[in-house]
Amino acid sequence: MNRPRPFFLDLLAIRLPIGGLVSIMHRASGALLSLAIPAFLYTLMLSLNSPEDFARVQAFLDGWLGGLIGLGLLWALLHHLFAGLRHLGFDIGWGEEKLRARLTAKLAMAAAILLVGLVALSSLMNSGGAT
Amino acid sequence: MRRVGGSHRGLDMWLLQRASAIYMALFLPIFLVCALSAGPLDYAVWHGLFESLAMKVASFLFIAAMLAHAWIGLREIFIDYLHCANCTLLRLALYFAFAVLYLACLVWTVDILWSVR
Repeated sequence: MNRPRPFFLDLLAIRLPIGGLVSIMHRASGALLSLAIPAFLYTLMLSLNSPEDFARVQAFLDGWLGGLIGLGLLWALLHHLFAGLRHLGFDIGWGEEKLRARLTAKLAMAAAILLVGLVALSSLMNSGGAT
Repeated sequence: MRRVGGSHRGLDMWLLQRASAIYMALFLPIFLVCALSAGPLDYAVWHGLFESLAMKVASFLFIAAMLAHAWIGLREIFIDYLHCANCTLLRLALYFAFAVLYLACLVWTVDILWSVR
């Protein structure tokens, strides 16, 4: 009954179509965001706790490590959001044709990267102007 | 006698995943506009943003939606990748661990938001 299925999982040799890439990144970003929830709540707590703690959060996010983590999580959030909206579209039958699905996949990926780039650039310019 | 073949809760989870996604997708841009229009973001402005009951309730629902969404999403990942013979127990243990963690986070969220006076 259960014939063995063909099994091929050489991650370096598999070339995913753009839709598959956006989809697996949707899953990876979702997993990352899920694991980051306690850290997110801790940050929210500090930021609302007192002016001193708010300043500590701000200083952490202005540093290179905090900035990198913040931008990484922002990218995960935006990619997950845009790819998720695309999947919601599929649920109601919108954008399932091949060409449109490829277009929205590229759009979702590009929009997330572009927005993170803009935020990174503006925060770099702000910190550059302050010093 | 219960019919064998799964708990048939998949559809509920599927629906809750979409409902929580839609709430978050609506809340985030509205929150962003509120935060950006409140003025240059210092502690007073940030703190003031969460003083109203409406904002407390709306952000609580956002985080509750996020926790439910994360739990269902992780469950899907565990189901997809953990299916060796002995993995059922491991999956159940992971569901349990994350349920406890996220319920604790939910209570923590109430404390964080309602400490803002």
